[in-house]
Amino acid sequence: MKYEETEIRVRFNEVDSWGVVWHGHYIAWFEAGRMALLRKFQLQPQDFAQMGYIAPVVDLKCSYKEPARLDEEIIIRTTVLKPTKAALTFQFEVLRKRDRKLLATGEETQVLQALDGRLLYYIPPDLKKRLQNLFNYLEVPGFPA
Amino acid sequence: MAEDLVLELKKLIINTLKLEEIGPGDIQDDAPLFGDGLGLDSIDALELVVALEKTYNVFIPDSEVGKKVFRSVNALADFVKANRA
Repeated sequence: MKYEETEIRVRFNEVDSWGVVWHGHYIAWFEAGRMALLRKFQLQPQDFAQMGYIAPVVDLKCSYKEPARLDEEIIIRTTVLKPTKAALTFQFEVLRKRDRKLLATGEETQVLQALDGRLLYYIPPDLKKRLQNLFNYLEVPGFPA
Repeated sequence: MAEDLVLELKKLIINTLKLEEIGPGDIQDDAPLFGDGLGLDSIDALELVVALEKTYNVFIPDSEVGKKVFRSVNALADFVKANRA
């Protein structure tokens, strides 16, 4: 399983009065990592919408190991777990670039809804094809035949 | 026979969703599985759909059908009986 790496730098507005990155910003970093990955495979929210779907987040967790500080360079590592149902689970690692120290880990799960609000219990073939490209890129076993 | 299927489905729900503190006797035959009843969520529905397909070869495409099928264990048993391969 491979990770996609996305780099950012800690901004002034992300640091709290204790001088460390406020915990909520890590969730936005996960989003940045996820979008950088999904952009490569035309799987961004607007691409989903064009196909007639949305993919709401239904579960999210983050574990904090070490604080990130102002102006530090950060690497967000993003991958996807092997799918076992009609949902996508992304995993994240946040590293400090200079020593590759692990600062946080996270996981986020999205389900698939049609634009009329129906929760889809199976991933439709048009979307499966694009997702398979993503799994191949990350060397993740894809959908069962 | 129908009662056996109801019990079988309760066990499938408990095992699939790892409901460790619940026994088959705690799930009422006519109580909703989602929301007010057993309180299952969308991820639980997706897990159950996979387990039902594997076990009974039944196919539930989306939540529009799901809200009828998952109305209760009895409703689920009726669906499985009518659609199993």
